[in-house]
Amino acid sequence: MNNPATITSVNQGLLEKLDPEGKLNLASCLQCARCSAGCTMRLETDILPHQMNRMVLMGMEDELLKSKAIWTCVSCHTCVSRCPMKVDTPALVDKLREMTQTAPSQDLEKINIFNNEMLKSMKQFGRVYELGMMGFYKMRARDLFSDLAKFPTMLLKGKMKIFPPRTRAAKSVSAIFDKVRARRAKR
Amino acid sequence: MKYAFFPGCSMESTAGDFRMSTLAVAEALGVELEEIPDWSCCGSTPAHATDSLLAASLPARNLAIAQDMGKDVVVCCASCYSRLASANVALAENADLRAQVAEITGREYAGGLKIRHFLQVLNEDIGLSEIKDSVVKSLSGLKVACYYGCLLTRPKELSILNDPEDPQLMDNIMAAAGAEPVEWPYKTECCGASFSITRTETVERLSGDILRMAKQSGADCIVAACPLCQSNLDLRQADVEKATGEKIGLPVFYFTQLLGHALGIPDAALGINKLMVDPSAILAR
Ligand code: SF4
Ligand code: SF4
Repeated sequence: MNNPATITSVNQGLLEKLDPEGKLNLASCLQCARCSAGCTMRLETDILPHQMNRMVLMGMEDELLKSKAIWTCVSCHTCVSRCPMKVDTPALVDKLREMTQTAPSQDLEKINIFNNEMLKSMKQFGRVYELGMMGFYKMRARDLFSDLAKFPTMLLKGKMKIFPPRTRAAKSVSAIFDKVRARRAKR
Repeated sequence: MKYAFFPGCSMESTAGDFRMSTLAVAEALGVELEEIPDWSCCGSTPAHATDSLLAASLPARNLAIAQDMGKDVVVCCASCYSRLASANVALAENADLRAQVAEITGREYAGGLKIRHFLQVLNEDIGLSEIKDSVVKSLSGLKVACYYGCLLTRPKELSILNDPEDPQLMDNIMAAAGAEPVEWPYKTECCGASFSITRTETVERLSGDILRMAKQSGADCIVAACPLCQSNLDLRQADVEKATGEKIGLPVFYFTQLLGHALGIPDAALGINKLMVDPSAILAR
Protein backbone atom coordinates (compact mmCIF):
# COMPACT_ATOMS: atom_id res chain seq x y z
CA MET A 1 0.00 0.00 0.00
CA ASN A 2 1.29 3.44 -0.88
CA ASN A 3 2.00 5.64 2.06
CA PRO A 4 0.07 8.91 1.73
CA ALA A 5 3.43 10.69 1.82
CA THR A 6 4.15 9.24 -1.59
CA ILE A 7 0.98 10.43 -3.30
CA THR A 8 2.10 11.44 -6.76
CA SER A 9 -0.92 13.34 -7.94
CA VAL A 10 -4.36 14.15 -6.72
CA ASN A 11 -7.47 14.12 -8.82
CA GLN A 12 -10.07 16.02 -6.83
CA GLY A 13 -12.74 15.00 -9.29
CA LEU A 14 -12.08 11.25 -9.02
CA LEU A 15 -15.13 10.44 -6.92
CA GLU A 16 -17.30 12.44 -9.28
CA LYS A 17 -15.75 10.68 -12.27
CA LEU A 18 -16.15 7.15 -10.87
CA ASP A 19 -19.54 7.53 -9.30
CA PRO A 20 -21.35 10.61 -10.61
CA GLU A 21 -24.72 9.57 -9.20
CA GLY A 22 -23.47 8.34 -5.85
CA LYS A 23 -24.79 4.84 -6.52
CA LEU A 24 -21.71 3.11 -5.16
CA ASN A 25 -21.99 4.88 -1.76
CA LEU A 26 -18.25 5.50 -1.72
CA ALA A 27 -18.56 8.70 0.28
CA SER A 28 -20.44 6.92 3.08
CA CYS A 29 -17.52 4.65 3.99
CA LEU A 30 -16.87 4.50 7.74
CA GLN A 31 -13.39 2.95 7.45
CA CYS A 32 -14.51 0.13 9.72
CA ALA A 33 -12.66 -2.41 7.51
CA ARG A 34 -15.30 -5.10 7.75
CA CYS A 35 -14.95 -5.41 3.99
CA SER A 36 -11.22 -6.06 4.23
CA ALA A 37 -11.53 -8.58 7.06
CA GLY A 38 -13.52 -10.90 4.83
CA CYS A 39 -11.96 -10.09 1.45
CA THR A 40 -11.23 -13.31 -0.44
CA MET A 41 -8.04 -11.87 -1.87
CA ARG A 42 -6.78 -10.11 1.27
CA LEU A 43 -3.57 -12.18 1.32
CA GLU A 44 -2.67 -11.47 -2.30
CA THR A 45 -3.61 -7.86 -2.85
CA ASP A 46 -1.63 -4.65 -2.27
CA ILE A 47 -4.58 -2.43 -1.36
CA LEU A 48 -7.44 -3.69 0.80
CA PRO A 49 -11.03 -2.72 -0.04
CA HIS A 50 -11.35 -0.08 2.71
CA GLN A 51 -8.05 1.45 1.65
CA MET A 52 -9.16 1.51 -1.96
CA ASN A 53 -12.32 3.39 -1.08
CA ARG A 54 -10.35 5.91 0.96
CA MET A 55 -7.94 6.43 -1.92
CA VAL A 56 -10.83 7.33 -4.21
CA LEU A 57 -11.93 10.05 -1.82
CA MET A 58 -8.35 11.29 -1.67
CA GLY A 59 -8.15 11.42 -5.45
CA MET A 60 -5.27 8.94 -5.78
CA GLU A 61 -6.10 7.97 -9.35
CA ASP A 62 -2.60 6.96 -10.49
CA GLU A 63 -1.99 4.71 -7.51
CA LEU A 64 -5.34 3.00 -7.98
CA LEU A 65 -4.87 2.42 -11.69
CA LYS A 66 -1.40 0.97 -11.13
CA SER A 67 -2.44 -1.20 -8.20
CA LYS A 68 -2.46 -4.98 -8.12
CA ALA A 69 -5.77 -4.79 -6.29
CA ILE A 70 -7.90 -3.95 -9.31
CA TRP A 71 -6.65 -7.15 -10.98
CA THR A 72 -6.60 -9.50 -8.02
CA CYS A 73 -10.22 -8.71 -7.03
CA VAL A 74 -12.25 -11.81 -7.89
CA SER A 75 -15.65 -10.03 -7.81
CA CYS A 76 -16.91 -12.30 -5.04
CA HIS A 77 -19.00 -9.48 -3.49
CA THR A 78 -18.17 -10.55 0.05
CA CYS A 79 -17.04 -7.02 0.96
CA VAL A 80 -20.19 -5.21 -0.16
CA SER A 81 -22.52 -7.82 1.28
CA ARG A 82 -20.97 -7.33 4.74
CA CYS A 83 -20.59 -3.56 4.51
CA PRO A 84 -22.87 -1.60 6.85
CA MET A 85 -22.98 1.28 4.34
CA LYS A 86 -23.40 -0.81 1.16
CA VAL A 87 -20.21 0.54 -0.38
CA ASP A 88 -19.97 -1.26 -3.73
CA THR A 89 -16.27 -2.07 -3.97
CA PRO A 90 -16.54 -4.66 -6.79
CA ALA A 91 -18.42 -2.15 -8.95
CA LEU A 92 -15.66 0.37 -8.19
CA VAL A 93 -13.05 -2.19 -9.25
CA ASP A 94 -14.88 -2.81 -12.54
CA LYS A 95 -14.88 0.94 -13.24
CA LEU A 96 -11.18 1.24 -12.47
CA ARG A 97 -10.41 -1.73 -14.71
CA GLU A 98 -12.37 -0.07 -17.49
CA MET A 99 -10.02 2.91 -17.18
CA THR A 100 -6.83 0.92 -17.64
CA GLN A 101 -5.45 -1.17 -20.49
CA THR A 102 -2.59 -3.12 -18.96
CA ALA A 103 -1.81 -4.76 -15.65
CA PRO A 104 1.23 -3.72 -13.56
CA SER A 105 3.10 -7.04 -13.88
CA GLN A 106 3.47 -9.89 -16.32
CA ASP A 107 1.88 -12.22 -13.82
CA LEU A 108 -1.27 -10.09 -13.54
CA GLU A 109 -1.30 -9.35 -17.25
CA LYS A 110 -2.32 -12.99 -17.70
CA ILE A 111 -5.75 -12.03 -16.35
CA ASN A 112 -6.01 -9.34 -18.97
CA ILE A 113 -4.92 -11.69 -21.75
CA PHE A 114 -7.41 -14.31 -20.60
CA ASN A 115 -10.27 -11.79 -20.59
CA ASN A 116 -9.37 -10.56 -24.04
CA GLU A 117 -9.12 -14.04 -25.54
CA MET A 118 -12.48 -14.98 -24.08
CA LEU A 119 -14.06 -11.81 -25.50
CA LYS A 120 -12.56 -12.57 -28.92
CA SER A 121 -14.01 -16.04 -28.79
CA MET A 122 -17.46 -14.69 -27.91
CA LYS A 123 -17.27 -12.15 -30.72
CA GLN A 124 -16.23 -14.72 -33.31
CA PHE A 125 -18.55 -17.58 -32.40
CA GLY A 126 -21.34 -16.00 -30.37
CA ARG A 127 -20.42 -18.45 -27.62
CA VAL A 128 -17.13 -19.30 -25.99
CA TYR A 129 -15.01 -21.88 -27.83
CA GLU A 130 -13.01 -23.10 -24.87
CA LEU A 131 -10.36 -25.21 -26.53
CA GLY A 132 -9.53 -22.55 -29.13
CA MET A 133 -9.52 -19.80 -26.54
CA MET A 134 -7.23 -21.77 -24.24
CA GLY A 135 -4.78 -22.31 -27.09
CA PHE A 136 -4.54 -18.60 -27.87
CA TYR A 137 -4.35 -17.73 -24.20
CA LYS A 138 -1.52 -20.15 -23.58
CA MET A 139 0.49 -18.79 -26.48
CA ARG A 140 -0.03 -15.16 -25.59
CA ALA A 141 0.54 -15.65 -21.87
CA ARG A 142 3.59 -17.84 -22.59
CA ASP A 143 2.10 -20.44 -20.35
CA LEU A 144 2.22 -23.46 -22.62
CA PHE A 145 2.72 -26.32 -20.26
CA SER A 146 0.57 -25.88 -17.19
CA ASP A 147 -2.43 -28.22 -17.06
CA LEU A 148 -1.36 -29.91 -20.28
CA ALA A 149 -1.76 -33.30 -18.66
CA LYS A 150 -5.43 -32.53 -18.05
CA PHE A 151 -6.39 -31.95 -21.68
CA PRO A 152 -6.50 -35.58 -22.88
CA THR A 153 -8.75 -36.63 -19.99
CA MET A 154 -10.98 -33.61 -20.51
CA LEU A 155 -11.33 -34.36 -24.21
CA LEU A 156 -11.95 -38.02 -23.49
CA LYS A 157 -14.61 -37.22 -20.95
CA GLY A 158 -16.17 -34.79 -23.39
CA LYS A 159 -15.48 -31.91 -21.02
CA MET A 160 -13.98 -29.96 -23.86
CA LYS A 161 -15.16 -29.95 -27.43
CA ILE A 162 -12.67 -30.11 -30.26
CA PHE A 163 -14.67 -28.02 -32.71
CA PRO A 164 -15.98 -24.49 -32.22
CA PRO A 165 -19.69 -23.91 -31.60
CA ARG A 166 -21.65 -23.12 -34.75
CA THR A 167 -24.47 -20.70 -34.08
CA ARG A 168 -26.58 -18.33 -36.06
CA ALA A 169 -26.07 -15.94 -33.16
CA ALA A 170 -22.44 -15.26 -34.10
CA LYS A 171 -23.22 -12.51 -36.58
CA SER A 172 -25.44 -10.48 -34.31
CA VAL A 173 -23.08 -10.90 -31.34
CA SER A 174 -20.19 -9.67 -33.44
CA ALA A 175 -22.27 -6.62 -34.38
CA ILE A 176 -22.91 -5.95 -30.68
CA PHE A 177 -19.15 -5.89 -30.01
CA ASP A 178 -18.55 -3.52 -32.93
CA LYS A 179 -21.26 -1.11 -31.84
CA VAL A 180 -20.09 -1.08 -28.21
CA ARG A 181 -16.54 -0.38 -29.36
CA ALA A 182 -17.66 2.42 -31.66
CA ARG A 183 -19.49 4.05 -28.79
CA ARG A 184 -16.55 3.61 -26.51
CA ALA A 185 -14.26 5.32 -28.99
CA LYS A 186 -16.59 8.32 -29.00
CA ARG A 187 -16.76 8.50 -25.22
CA MET B 1 -44.61 -26.21 -15.93
CA LYS B 2 -42.78 -24.55 -18.84
CA TYR B 3 -39.78 -22.29 -18.81
CA ALA B 4 -37.42 -20.57 -21.23
CA PHE B 5 -34.06 -22.26 -20.66
CA PHE B 6 -30.69 -20.52 -20.95
CA PRO B 7 -27.94 -23.21 -20.86
CA GLY B 8 -24.85 -21.03 -21.33
CA CYS B 9 -21.43 -21.86 -22.78
CA SER B 10 -20.10 -23.95 -19.87
CA MET B 11 -22.99 -26.36 -20.13
CA GLU B 12 -21.99 -26.94 -23.75
CA SER B 13 -18.48 -28.00 -22.76
CA THR B 14 -16.87 -28.43 -19.31
CA ALA B 15 -20.24 -28.70 -17.60
CA GLY B 16 -21.95 -30.96 -20.14
CA ASP B 17 -22.85 -33.25 -17.24
CA PHE B 18 -24.66 -30.37 -15.50
CA ARG B 19 -26.76 -29.93 -18.62
CA MET B 20 -27.51 -33.65 -19.03
CA SER B 21 -28.48 -34.08 -15.40
CA THR B 22 -30.59 -30.91 -15.35
CA LEU B 23 -32.59 -31.98 -18.38
CA ALA B 24 -33.03 -35.50 -17.01
CA VAL B 25 -34.21 -34.27 -13.60
CA ALA B 26 -36.53 -31.73 -15.23
CA GLU B 27 -38.11 -34.44 -17.37
CA ALA B 28 -38.53 -36.78 -14.43
CA LEU B 29 -40.31 -34.06 -12.44
CA GLY B 30 -42.51 -32.85 -15.30
CA VAL B 31 -40.69 -29.58 -15.93
CA GLU B 32 -40.39 -28.43 -19.53
CA LEU B 33 -37.22 -26.50 -20.30
CA GLU B 34 -37.45 -24.96 -23.75
CA GLU B 35 -34.07 -23.71 -24.93
CA ILE B 36 -33.96 -20.02 -25.89
CA PRO B 37 -33.46 -20.19 -29.67
CA ASP B 38 -30.08 -19.00 -30.84
CA TRP B 39 -28.95 -17.92 -27.40
CA SER B 40 -25.48 -16.38 -27.10
CA CYS B 41 -22.86 -15.98 -24.38
CA CYS B 42 -23.89 -13.89 -21.34
CA GLY B 43 -20.54 -12.07 -21.39
CA SER B 44 -19.32 -13.69 -18.18
CA THR B 45 -16.50 -12.10 -16.16
CA PRO B 46 -14.55 -10.59 -19.09
CA ALA B 47 -17.50 -8.43 -20.16
CA HIS B 48 -18.19 -6.86 -16.78
CA ALA B 49 -14.48 -6.47 -16.05
CA THR B 50 -13.92 -4.47 -19.22
CA ASP B 51 -17.05 -2.64 -20.35
CA SER B 52 -20.33 -2.01 -18.56
CA LEU B 53 -22.21 -1.41 -21.81
CA LEU B 54 -21.07 -4.75 -23.22
CA ALA B 55 -21.96 -6.41 -19.92
CA ALA B 56 -25.54 -5.18 -20.31
CA SER B 57 -25.85 -5.75 -24.06
CA LEU B 58 -24.81 -9.42 -24.26
CA PRO B 59 -27.43 -10.62 -21.75
CA ALA B 60 -30.00 -8.19 -23.21
CA ARG B 61 -29.87 -9.92 -26.59
CA ASN B 62 -30.88 -13.19 -24.92
CA LEU B 63 -33.53 -11.58 -22.77
CA ALA B 64 -35.08 -9.89 -25.80
CA ILE B 65 -35.40 -13.27 -27.52
CA ALA B 66 -36.75 -14.91 -24.36
CA GLN B 67 -39.32 -12.15 -23.99
CA ASP B 68 -41.21 -13.49 -27.00
CA MET B 69 -41.47 -16.90 -25.35
CA GLY B 70 -43.54 -15.39 -22.55
CA LYS B 71 -42.18 -17.62 -19.78
CA ASP B 72 -39.82 -17.23 -16.83
CA VAL B 73 -36.18 -17.69 -17.78
CA VAL B 74 -34.44 -20.57 -16.03
CA VAL B 75 -30.67 -20.68 -15.66
CA CYS B 76 -28.44 -23.32 -14.05
CA CYS B 77 -24.95 -21.88 -14.35
CA ALA B 78 -24.45 -19.55 -11.38
CA SER B 79 -22.28 -17.23 -13.44
CA CYS B 80 -24.83 -16.90 -16.26
CA TYR B 81 -27.54 -16.44 -13.65
CA SER B 82 -25.63 -13.60 -12.09
CA ARG B 83 -24.94 -11.85 -15.43
CA LEU B 84 -28.51 -12.19 -16.74
CA ALA B 85 -30.09 -11.13 -13.46
CA SER B 86 -27.72 -8.20 -13.05
CA ALA B 87 -28.41 -6.90 -16.57
CA ASN B 88 -32.13 -7.47 -16.08
CA VAL B 89 -32.17 -5.20 -13.02
CA ALA B 90 -29.93 -2.56 -14.60
CA LEU B 91 -32.09 -2.42 -17.73
CA ALA B 92 -35.33 -2.16 -15.75
CA GLU B 93 -33.96 0.69 -13.64
CA ASN B 94 -32.24 2.76 -16.26
CA ALA B 95 -34.19 4.03 -19.30
CA ASP B 96 -31.10 5.63 -20.81
CA LEU B 97 -29.17 2.35 -20.67
CA ARG B 98 -32.20 0.54 -22.11
CA ALA B 99 -32.27 2.88 -25.11
CA GLN B 100 -28.53 2.52 -25.74
CA VAL B 101 -28.69 -1.26 -25.45
CA ALA B 102 -31.69 -1.47 -27.80
CA GLU B 103 -29.75 0.47 -30.39
CA ILE B 104 -26.71 -1.81 -29.93
CA THR B 105 -28.55 -5.14 -30.02
CA GLY B 106 -31.17 -4.09 -32.55
CA ARG B 107 -33.85 -5.56 -30.28
CA GLU B 108 -36.19 -3.93 -27.83
CA TYR B 109 -36.26 -5.40 -24.37
CA ALA B 110 -38.67 -3.73 -21.99
CA GLY B 111 -37.44 -5.50 -18.85
CA GLY B 112 -39.73 -7.37 -16.55
CA LEU B 113 -38.79 -10.98 -17.28
CA LYS B 114 -38.26 -13.16 -14.23
CA ILE B 115 -34.81 -14.74 -14.16
CA ARG B 116 -34.69 -17.80 -11.95
CA HIS B 117 -32.22 -20.43 -10.95
CA PHE B 118 -33.22 -24.09 -11.31
CA LEU B 119 -32.82 -24.46 -7.53
CA GLN B 120 -35.67 -22.00 -7.10
CA VAL B 121 -37.86 -23.92 -9.52
CA LEU B 122 -37.28 -27.12 -7.53
CA ASN B 123 -37.88 -25.50 -4.15
CA GLU B 124 -40.72 -23.15 -5.02
CA ASP B 125 -42.57 -24.53 -8.04
CA ILE B 126 -42.14 -28.29 -7.69
CA GLY B 127 -41.89 -28.29 -3.92
CA LEU B 128 -39.96 -30.47 -1.53
CA SER B 129 -42.78 -32.91 -0.78
CA GLU B 130 -43.24 -33.67 -4.48
CA ILE B 131 -39.49 -34.32 -4.75
CA LYS B 132 -39.62 -36.55 -1.69
CA ASP B 133 -42.46 -38.55 -3.20
CA SER B 134 -40.53 -39.03 -6.45
CA VAL B 135 -37.43 -40.49 -4.78
CA VAL B 136 -36.95 -44.18 -5.58
CA LYS B 137 -33.37 -44.63 -4.36
CA SER B 138 -33.02 -42.73 -1.13
CA LEU B 139 -29.63 -41.18 -0.44
CA SER B 140 -29.99 -42.13 3.19
CA GLY B 141 -26.75 -42.31 5.11
CA LEU B 142 -24.95 -40.04 2.65
CA LYS B 143 -23.42 -36.96 4.25
CA VAL B 144 -23.39 -34.06 1.82
CA ALA B 145 -21.71 -30.65 2.06
CA CYS B 146 -23.79 -28.20 0.01
CA TYR B 147 -21.55 -25.55 -1.49
CA TYR B 148 -23.15 -22.35 -2.82
CA GLY B 149 -20.15 -20.12 -3.54
CA CYS B 150 -20.50 -16.48 -4.53
CA LEU B 151 -22.69 -15.95 -7.51
CA LEU B 152 -25.97 -17.34 -6.21
CA THR B 153 -25.36 -15.67 -2.87
CA ARG B 154 -24.15 -12.16 -3.59
CA PRO B 155 -24.89 -9.35 -4.16
CA LYS B 156 -27.99 -9.39 -2.00
CA GLU B 157 -30.18 -7.72 -4.62
CA LEU B 158 -29.65 -10.67 -7.00
CA SER B 159 -29.37 -13.44 -4.44
CA ILE B 160 -31.63 -16.45 -4.75
CA LEU B 161 -31.03 -17.25 -1.08
CA ASN B 162 -32.70 -15.99 2.05
CA ASP B 163 -29.63 -16.15 4.21
CA PRO B 164 -26.37 -15.09 2.54
CA GLU B 165 -24.23 -16.68 5.29
CA ASP B 166 -26.15 -19.95 5.77
CA PRO B 167 -28.26 -20.71 2.69
CA GLN B 168 -30.55 -23.77 2.56
CA LEU B 169 -31.96 -24.24 -0.97
CA MET B 170 -29.60 -27.10 -1.87
CA ASP B 171 -29.63 -28.54 1.66
CA ASN B 172 -33.43 -28.79 1.43
CA ILE B 173 -33.28 -30.71 -1.82
CA MET B 174 -30.59 -33.07 -0.60
CA ALA B 175 -32.60 -33.72 2.57
CA ALA B 176 -35.71 -34.39 0.46
CA ALA B 177 -33.66 -36.95 -1.48
CA GLY B 178 -32.83 -38.66 1.80
CA ALA B 179 -29.27 -37.42 2.28
CA GLU B 180 -27.94 -35.77 5.39
CA PRO B 181 -26.66 -32.23 4.70
CA VAL B 182 -23.78 -31.42 7.05
CA GLU B 183 -23.45 -28.13 8.90
CA TRP B 184 -20.29 -26.43 7.75
CA PRO B 185 -18.97 -22.88 7.72
CA TYR B 186 -17.64 -22.56 4.14
CA LYS B 187 -20.91 -22.74 2.20
CA THR B 188 -20.50 -19.30 0.67
CA GLU B 189 -16.73 -18.84 0.60
CA CYS B 190 -15.17 -18.08 -2.79
CA CYS B 191 -13.37 -20.90 -4.67
CA GLY B 192 -11.25 -18.51 -6.76
CA ALA B 193 -13.68 -18.62 -9.67
CA SER B 194 -12.31 -17.46 -12.99
CA PHE B 195 -8.71 -17.40 -11.70
CA SER B 196 -8.61 -21.14 -12.38
CA ILE B 197 -6.37 -20.64 -15.41
CA THR B 198 -4.63 -17.34 -14.70
CA ARG B 199 -3.86 -17.70 -10.98
CA THR B 200 -3.94 -21.42 -10.40
CA GLU B 201 -2.16 -21.21 -7.02
CA THR B 202 -4.86 -18.87 -5.74
CA VAL B 203 -7.56 -21.34 -6.73
CA GLU B 204 -5.65 -24.22 -5.18
CA ARG B 205 -5.38 -22.31 -1.92
CA LEU B 206 -9.02 -21.19 -1.77
CA SER B 207 -10.54 -24.40 -3.10
CA GLY B 208 -8.18 -26.43 -0.92
CA ASP B 209 -9.52 -24.65 2.17
CA ILE B 210 -13.09 -25.43 1.11
CA LEU B 211 -12.34 -29.09 0.38
CA ARG B 212 -10.54 -29.62 3.68
CA MET B 213 -13.32 -27.91 5.63
CA ALA B 214 -15.95 -30.10 3.96
CA LYS B 215 -13.94 -33.16 4.84
CA GLN B 216 -13.40 -32.07 8.45
CA SER B 217 -17.13 -31.48 8.75
CA GLY B 218 -17.71 -35.15 8.03
CA ALA B 219 -19.00 -34.91 4.46
CA ASP B 220 -18.74 -37.89 2.07
CA CYS B 221 -19.10 -35.60 -0.93
CA ILE B 222 -19.84 -32.04 -2.03
CA VAL B 223 -22.69 -30.79 -4.20
CA ALA B 224 -22.37 -27.59 -6.19
CA ALA B 225 -24.57 -25.46 -8.44
CA CYS B 226 -21.94 -23.68 -10.49
CA PRO B 227 -19.67 -24.97 -13.29
CA LEU B 228 -16.77 -22.83 -12.08
CA CYS B 229 -17.07 -24.04 -8.49
CA GLN B 230 -17.51 -27.65 -9.54
CA SER B 231 -14.48 -27.64 -11.79
CA ASN B 232 -12.28 -25.82 -9.26
CA LEU B 233 -13.16 -28.34 -6.55
CA ASP B 234 -13.18 -31.45 -8.75
CA LEU B 235 -10.64 -30.91 -11.54
CA ARG B 236 -8.17 -29.13 -9.23
CA GLN B 237 -8.57 -31.54 -6.32
CA ALA B 238 -5.64 -33.70 -7.44
CA ASP B 239 -3.42 -30.59 -7.61
CA VAL B 240 -4.49 -29.57 -4.11
CA GLU B 241 -3.66 -33.05 -2.85
CA LYS B 242 -0.30 -32.97 -4.57
CA ALA B 243 0.58 -29.55 -3.16
CA THR B 244 -0.23 -30.51 0.43
CA GLY B 245 0.51 -34.21 0.32
CA GLU B 246 -2.84 -34.82 1.96
CA LYS B 247 -5.47 -37.11 0.44
CA ILE B 248 -8.94 -35.54 0.21
CA GLY B 249 -10.90 -37.83 -2.12
CA LEU B 250 -14.22 -35.98 -2.03
CA PRO B 251 -16.42 -36.43 -5.13
CA VAL B 252 -17.98 -33.13 -6.26
CA PHE B 253 -21.40 -33.51 -7.89
CA TYR B 254 -23.78 -31.06 -9.44
CA PHE B 255 -26.87 -31.11 -7.23
CA THR B 256 -28.83 -32.32 -10.25
CA GLN B 257 -26.63 -35.41 -10.56
CA LEU B 258 -27.19 -36.57 -7.01
CA LEU B 259 -30.88 -35.70 -7.12
CA GLY B 260 -31.21 -37.53 -10.44
CA HIS B 261 -29.55 -40.59 -8.92
CA ALA B 262 -32.12 -40.55 -6.13
CA LEU B 263 -34.91 -40.23 -8.69
CA GLY B 264 -33.68 -43.48 -10.25
CA ILE B 265 -32.22 -41.95 -13.41
CA PRO B 266 -29.32 -44.09 -14.72
CA ASP B 267 -25.89 -42.62 -13.90
CA ALA B 268 -24.96 -42.57 -17.59
CA ALA B 269 -27.83 -40.17 -18.32
CA LEU B 270 -26.56 -37.90 -15.54
CA GLY B 271 -23.01 -37.67 -16.90
CA ILE B 272 -21.60 -39.08 -13.67
CA ASN B 273 -18.71 -40.67 -15.57
CA LYS B 274 -17.48 -37.16 -16.41
CA LEU B 275 -16.51 -36.42 -12.82
CA MET B 276 -12.79 -36.42 -12.10
CA VAL B 277 -12.87 -37.67 -8.50
CA ASP B 278 -14.41 -41.12 -8.78
CA PRO B 279 -17.79 -41.28 -6.99
CA SER B 280 -18.57 -44.94 -7.65
CA ALA B 281 -17.77 -46.09 -4.10
CA ILE B 282 -20.27 -43.75 -2.48
CA LEU B 283 -22.95 -44.30 -5.11
CA ALA B 284 -22.71 -48.07 -4.78
CA ARG B 285 -23.62 -48.03 -1.09
S1 SF4 C 1 -17.15 -2.28 5.32
FE1 SF4 C 1 -18.04 -0.58 4.18
S2 SF4 C 1 -18.03 1.12 5.60
FE2 SF4 C 1 -16.65 -0.43 6.44
S3 SF4 C 1 -14.62 0.18 5.64
FE3 SF4 C 1 -15.48 -1.32 4.21
S4 SF4 C 1 -16.48 -0.03 2.68
FE4 SF4 C 1 -16.14 1.27 4.44
S1 SF4 D 1 -15.23 -8.42 -4.40
FE1 SF4 D 1 -13.01 -8.07 -4.57
S2 SF4 D 1 -12.56 -6.60 -2.96
FE2 SF4 D 1 -14.58 -7.45 -2.48
S3 SF4 D 1 -14.15 -9.16 -1.09
FE3 SF4 D 1 -14.20 -10.01 -3.17
S4 SF4 D 1 -12.06 -9.96 -3.85
FE4 SF4 D 1 -12.20 -8.61 -2.07
